[in-house]
Amino acid sequence: MTRTALITGASSGIGAEFARQLAARGMDLVLVARDKAALSTLAIALGDQHGVEVEVLSADLVVPRQRERIIRRLTDPEHPIDMLVNNAGFGLPLQFERNDIEDEVRHLELHVEVPMRLTHAALGPMLQRGSGRIVNVASVSGFIPRGTYGACKAWMVSFSRWANGKYSRRGVTVTAVCPGFTRTNFHERMGLEPGREGVPPWMWLDVRDVVAEALRDVARGSGVSIPSFRYKALVALTRLVPAGTASRVGERGR
Amino acid sequence: MARTALITGASSGFGAEYARQLAARGTDLVLVSPEESALAALAEGLRVAHAVRVEVLAADLLHAGQLDTVIQRLTDAARPVDMLVNSAGFGLTQGFELNDVHDEVRHLHLHVEVPLRLMHEAVRPMLQRGSGRIVTVASVAAFVPWGTYGACKAWLVSFSRWANGRYSGRGVTFTAVCPGFTHTDFHVRMGLPRGEEGVPGWMWLDAHRVVAESLRDVARGRGLSVPSWRYKALLALTRVLPVRLLAVLGRQGA
Repeated sequence: MTRTALITGASSGIGAEFARQLAARGMDLVLVARDKAALSTLAIALGDQHGVEVEVLSADLVVPRQRERIIRRLTDPEHPIDMLVNNAGFGLPLQFERNDIEDEVRHLELHVEVPMRLTHAALGPMLQRGSGRIVNVASVSGFIPRGTYGACKAWMVSFSRWANGKYSRRGVTVTAVCPGFTRTNFHERMGLEPGREGVPPWMWLDVRDVVAEALRDVARGSGVSIPSFRYKALVALTRLVPAGTASRVGERGR
Repeated sequence: MARTALITGASSGFGAEYARQLAARGTDLVLVSPEESALAALAEGLRVAHAVRVEVLAADLLHAGQLDTVIQRLTDAARPVDMLVNSAGFGLTQGFELNDVHDEVRHLHLHVEVPLRLMHEAVRPMLQRGSGRIVTVASVAAFVPWGTYGACKAWLVSFSRWANGRYSGRGVTFTAVCPGFTHTDFHVRMGLPRGEEGVPGWMWLDAHRVVAESLRDVARGRGLSVPSWRYKALLALTRVLPVRLLAVLGRQGA
């Protein structure tokens, strides 16, 4: 049914896993990230293995002119994009008061402004065709307050729920995927070695399980996807416990 | 309470009401808004009625140079600001796909990036002094999916809760105030005359009561303030109601 997916932050982590699983289902891909070499390696491997077409677009999404190129590709009527996966992101230390404000603003741009702009651009053609999937990689910290990262993810969860309610009747679904701690290189990029993130082992998820469950929820047209029973239970609990307790939970780990 | 409060969006609505109630408690004020003549009139009235010092800072917070002027005042060591009230905001119609994306970005900047920058600047001197109050006007829309407006308010609620947990032990409290529909000029500015907003009469709150109740919650150091028992009850309901139903509710009204 769905033919071409555009994935941001596709060079590693959850983005690369979306690329692998969608290619395995026979979808053509447009991979977006800054790291062109990593994208090319992934693209060749997926093309060979699954016989799908894989385009590589290296771009820094917080640079307006580079982002414009992605938006042009996203809205190209000759080569329609059926699925947009907003996944690009990075983490900052939780010491908000000590972080450089320009880093915080870049963080906000990449986590909120960029997906909002890409969603806005993708929606027009998708609504015209009467079909499309928008997948926003958020986090369980959208439910459990955790610095500006959690706040950005709360934006995504709130927006995706609303947009899914509004646009799914017109054939376009919007799903916020909310993983818990997932084994990718995300924490390593923050300078935290595996095993030293301050998170108990049972809280770690496998990236393949996360993406497979997310894609099932996307296919069902869910507004929110919380992969794994463990985290579903944890999020259900946060609706019942006082906000102060939930905030203290959000202080755990990195 | 605070000796000097800086209030954004002070020329009307909640901002002006915070100015009136804080002045009545003897707090000196710095009023910020692009509406210079409205600010000047309000300032003169408050000086006469309450014998407090009132500065007027006419500034468009979306203009980088003018925002810098406000930041300079906020961080002036010789004249410390004890309380920051983030109240500036505006509404867009809910047709996200039809709105100009530049308007959506301006909306995001005013509702999230500006308070992020102001809070970041305010928190360090407050932590150094070991005391400070940061009050952010959010909305119950943070809890009920409600377009990009609700998403921005979800950012503010998530961040305020977390920051209050993190910094209140060091003397600086963060409170997200979440009013329901309140009679101010907010809806009129969106082009919706009074009585034609599509909202039942019982759901309307009085701005005076909202601000009075929120200031009690600020004094108690609460991370979240939901004025009026009606909306407290409604919010409790959102914790148990299915998310799909909330998305439907979020499409009601303006």
